[in-house]
Amino acid sequence: MSRLNIILLIVFVAALITITLSSPQTVARIQNGAMTVFSPFMGASNQLESGVETVGTESLSPAQLREMVDELERERNRLKLEVIQLDEIVRENNQLRRALQYVKKAPISLVAARVISRKPSTWYNTMIINKGKAHGIEVDNPVIVPVGEDAGLVGKVSEVVGDNSAIILLLTDEMCQVSAKLQNSQEQGILNGQRGALRTMPNLRLRYLSREAEVTPGRKVVSSGVGGLFPPDLVLGEVFSVEIGALDAEVTVNPSVNFEELIDIFVVLPVRDPENEADMQSESGNEDPVAVEKPALTAP
Amino acid sequence: MKFFIFVTVAFLAAFIVQEFIPAFEWAYSSRILLVHITFLAVAVAVPFPAMLLYALIGGFIWDARHHIPIYPPEATAGIFTQAELPFGFTIFIFGLTGALIQGVRPLFRKGRWELPVLMIGICTSLGLLLEYLVISFHRGGLEIPVELWWKLLMSGLFSALVSPFLLLLLSRLGARSRLRSKNSYRRHNYDGDAI
Repeated sequence: MSRLNIILLIVFVAALITITLSSPQTVARIQNGAMTVFSPFMGASNQLESGVETVGTESLSPAQLREMVDELERERNRLKLEVIQLDEIVRENNQLRRALQYVKKAPISLVAARVISRKPSTWYNTMIINKGKAHGIEVDNPVIVPVGEDAGLVGKVSEVVGDNSAIILLLTDEMCQVSAKLQNSQEQGILNGQRGALRTMPNLRLRYLSREAEVTPGRKVVSSGVGGLFPPDLVLGEVFSVEIGALDAEVTVNPSVNFEELIDIFVVLPVRDPENEADMQSESGNEDPVAVEKPALTAP
Repeated sequence: MKFFIFVTVAFLAAFIVQEFIPAFEWAYSSRILLVHITFLAVAVAVPFPAMLLYALIGGFIWDARHHIPIYPPEATAGIFTQAELPFGFTIFIFGLTGALIQGVRPLFRKGRWELPVLMIGICTSLGLLLEYLVISFHRGGLEIPVELWWKLLMSGLFSALVSPFLLLLLSRLGARSRLRSKNSYRRHNYDGDAI
């Protein structure tokens, strides 16, 4: 190897080390810039993909009608989620009022977003949405969609890249770990997906259940709310098979959300400073110290 | 000079085209990694210093667009502050595979593409395998399901299938811009004898 090549190799390694040791803030700025450059192409790609998928139905209905149907569907989904959230809040409110005379459930708001890129990563089950910092989205915000009459968990925000995009880590990824339980049971465990993004719809694994857990195929698995990252009672999937180990039981779960067909999703935002609001209400002599707010919904 | 300008433009265009290439669910979510293929094709066609430069630029842009900051458990404990696949890891992958594929550059210059095409496939899979191993290292358990081998195989196969078109393009362009030596227009066997 010539002397020039050796010098260039040293320079290359030095540059590589410098880049690798960049701070997360620097990396975020770089990614923000890259996302700004690439987002038009991502949007075009997504439109092209949607166009290909709907090519059979395109000739049957005018584009305006399709747009209207999309809009109505989004509206219906928003309302469905609103009802689910309201029911949950009212139920929990009444229950806790009776039991403890106190509740401090942080109200939530939902931001509707559209998927602009599917599976952008080789090794992680992720997708990119068209909402970001400008809409109040933050890392670790849960992402949900309606599943029948319930709300199903899609995943969580892994990274907010600029004002108008964020990366969602899907429930099907090994690194999206959710505290879960069997519905109508106190059996709790940790649910996660598969390493390597080898499938869009892999079976999920619910681990650390007790050996005595009454698990039957078809039983629903929901989030337990433990840890506070994900709201409770979000539908995760249904039990597919059970494996009893020496110390605990492990359950294979079929995800409820169809990750291959996600178009519109909802990011759950916590409403800031509910404690102060509750304190202010109790100080002002409000008879009902329980402050439950209607979830706010923003347009996609 | 024209050759390098064209190669640079083609390399950058590969990033845009990559956005339009979906993952194939039937092939274990593998995809045509056009940027990787273009880089490897360029790496076999240009001298070592230029290869390093393209590895640096290409890896940087790829990570700027595709880097996912998933932190390993030890990062949350404050022991390790980098993501599982740190920003810049693709530069390392490109540099490594680029250096490997430089070994078959003489064959490409002589018009023998069989081994370069095979190497592009192998290097693509090798790069992906390295990434998977680093992820597994951080997570503390080496899971190697059968689907992983299929994913690596399919990715490598896609690369090997697409690469001849790029090699043809680079070869023609090299000829037009007189980058290659006079003898390089002649076909040679593997012993170096002109056919």
